[in-house]
Amino acid sequence: MKRLLAVVACALALAATGCAPKAEKADASAPKVFRFSYVSDIPTLDPQMANSMPSGTIAIHIFDGLTRMDNGVVAPGIAESWTVSSDGLVYTLKLRDAKWSDGQPIKAQDFEYGIRRLMDPAAASPYSFLGLLLKNAEAVNSGKLPVDRLGVKALDDKTVEIQLAYPADYFLGMLSMSQFCATRADLVAQYGKDFAATPEKNVYDGPFMVERWAREDRLILVKNPNYWNASAIKLDEIDILIVPDENTALAMYDAGDLDLVRVPPAFVEKYRDRAIFYFDGSNDFIKLNMATKGPLSNKDFRLAINYAVDRQDFVDITTKGLYEANPRYVLPQVAGVAAEYGAEYPYAGFGTKADPAKAKEHLAAAMSALKIVDPSKIELEFLTTDTDRSRAQAEIIQDQLQKTLGIKINVRQVPYRQRLDMEAKKTFEMVFSGWAPDYSDPMTYLELWTSDSPYNHGSYKSAKYDEYIAFARKTTDKRARMDAMFNAEKELLSDGAIMPMQLRRESVLINPAFTGVTTYFIGSNYDLVYVDRAAK
Amino acid sequence: MGRYIAKRIVISLATLFVLVTVVFALVRLMPGDPFSSEKITPQIRQNLERYYGFDKPILQQYVIYIGQLAKGDLGYSMKYANATVNDIIAKAFPYSADLGLRALAIAVSVGLTLGIVSALNRKKPIDAVCVVVAMIGTSIPDFIMGYVLQYFFGIRWGLLPIAQYKGFAYTVLPSIGLGFYTLALVSRLMRSSMLEVVQQDYIKTAMAKGASRFRIVWKHMIRNAILPIVTILGPITASVLTGTFVIESIFAIPGMGKFYVTSVQSLDYTLVLGMTVFFGAFLVSANFIVDILYGIIDPRIRVSRR
Repeated sequence: MKRLLAVVACALALAATGCAPKAEKADASAPKVFRFSYVSDIPTLDPQMANSMPSGTIAIHIFDGLTRMDNGVVAPGIAESWTVSSDGLVYTLKLRDAKWSDGQPIKAQDFEYGIRRLMDPAAASPYSFLGLLLKNAEAVNSGKLPVDRLGVKALDDKTVEIQLAYPADYFLGMLSMSQFCATRADLVAQYGKDFAATPEKNVYDGPFMVERWAREDRLILVKNPNYWNASAIKLDEIDILIVPDENTALAMYDAGDLDLVRVPPAFVEKYRDRAIFYFDGSNDFIKLNMATKGPLSNKDFRLAINYAVDRQDFVDITTKGLYEANPRYVLPQVAGVAAEYGAEYPYAGFGTKADPAKAKEHLAAAMSALKIVDPSKIELEFLTTDTDRSRAQAEIIQDQLQKTLGIKINVRQVPYRQRLDMEAKKTFEMVFSGWAPDYSDPMTYLELWTSDSPYNHGSYKSAKYDEYIAFARKTTDKRARMDAMFNAEKELLSDGAIMPMQLRRESVLINPAFTGVTTYFIGSNYDLVYVDRAAK
Repeated sequence: MGRYIAKRIVISLATLFVLVTVVFALVRLMPGDPFSSEKITPQIRQNLERYYGFDKPILQQYVIYIGQLAKGDLGYSMKYANATVNDIIAKAFPYSADLGLRALAIAVSVGLTLGIVSALNRKKPIDAVCVVVAMIGTSIPDFIMGYVLQYFFGIRWGLLPIAQYKGFAYTVLPSIGLGFYTLALVSRLMRSSMLEVVQQDYIKTAMAKGASRFRIVWKHMIRNAILPIVTILGPITASVLTGTFVIESIFAIPGMGKFYVTSVQSLDYTLVLGMTVFFGAFLVSANFIVDILYGIIDPRIRVSRR
């Protein structure tokens, strides 16, 4: 027994001395490596198939769009200049001399192919709805027209012409997203379904290129010497480590093994003075199914529950105030005419605090219209995901509504995918849901609720709302367009069509030895393109 | 023996076939589907279903799947677009196998030693120590064990790396964390089995014959007492080698467990099926090997099976 213990002790000691973590020296000539973590692997590095924040984040580092978003501002990318027709429908973009990581020139045809691939039904991009604003996009995506009828064309090797179905100022920003990036037809033909499955099965035209990808383990990006603006890129390498447990990731940051880490809400207090806070664009709200036979078809009832819920208490209890109570629908951070929409059009459809008097007033009106005498006879099913967090959230809302209105709320928890399925099939009454923006414009939220929208799961129908949106899609007058969208937002909330709840504020820790890390809220969350080691 | 092995192989294959069929059906019965997302439209869903061949009748899909499976092709994952299930397993399994073998080696060697030492020193202090160790091992869940090891050896004392899997030092904590439960199980089982054997008449006979203590313990006691351990070794090996999600999560190891859980959560039909088939094949072969081992260790079984 003694001998055995000795052997075990020796083995442990050996292991300890052999590979104990060493303190890293930061001398000026050492390669500049930036390391951060995700809880789960990047689902895909295929530019047109990207369908998540992590994929979008990696994509802006390894691909360069016709444009590039630099801290929320549209900057030139592979396109060095562009013109937009006066009706806002035709974009003509001039490409600079730039090369792929394998040395081949980047041609307008590569963009034509990439954008066609996004809408090609045979390629089956899960994110193809992003391109539905292109001319003929819907017909192409449903196979009614061949892909070459899509509104994108290489006029010559260096000129791309894109035609839209309706004017959209935000389109230049969308062009920075990987779904609209250049893609090499020869490589897709060569690798077929395996395209972009491993680093060598694609080429890169962004600031970095993929060096190594071990699934659910690590993704290593290195500087792309062929990038057209390579002299502006200071980092030599970006390591993305997959660490499923957020507590472990935090411990790794503290031990110096990571340079950027997300702080889970439970730890925010501990790191409050060192953390950086940003809105990641996620906007949570409750969808109300107006096509049901129950009370939700009644506008007064929908307003009653909207006034009865206390959004401030909700975020204080569930996230210790990390998330922000949201009294409106459109994410305030999206672009308005000249500044942020929220600053140009301040508005609160409901208070962040509950208004029990108004709630009861609307409930009384609803009950007399529905011929109900006893509010406790009103029963609603509140659908949510089967996590502990969702349960806690649902119980708070249940408690607030039951106490203020005296109605009965039954919480039903189902797996995430089933919840989504039930939303799409409209087999729910109330569901805790949300939306992340796809482009910086109020329309990214407002397009959900037109009568013909595939995302209108609550069956909201308002001729006025549809009219505002139709006008905003037609006009080229920026102010009039924005006013129309603001009117639509007010219309939606005065009809109580949804219950806005919260905006997600994330907190991250960033190694102070680096400068230039920026966060964003559309398509990607971290931008490390211009990161450098801080001067001592 | 040859006929016996042939029979076992046929039964194993039949078991696998039933498993594939049942899982194929069950996976499709789960509510929701792999394409559900906040932003999917009916048109995009239709395009995706065609891309993955889900627009065909379910029986035809089953026949296609079995045909591919017979060729060893597990298909493309949906969650990890463009990646094949074969490739995912080929990359993830070595991590789980490496970790599992280390954990198993620790568990079996230390577990057996503790069990034997404790049985031979019954009711002495050393027995009490071994019993306490076994009790701790069986009663503490692996996620607590993982965090405790990580906290003290990794974070507090900085002796070993906190996470990742990049060399020997990185393997120590997860191997112990993963193997501790099995270690405790083996030691308890071995102890009770030894105590039972000690009572047997043939031990008394051996003693009366004047055989040496080493010979009695080694040849008569351990060889007989070890049989129950061999029995549980099959399933234990399979489960430890194919990964446990918790330990892999805590120590950020890209093994099978992580992929298995993710595939179920995201309803990645092909990945769930592929991993289940792989896990099933592993379990079936582990049991098969244990059956053969049984015959080698215990002559009585060999004879009765002829």
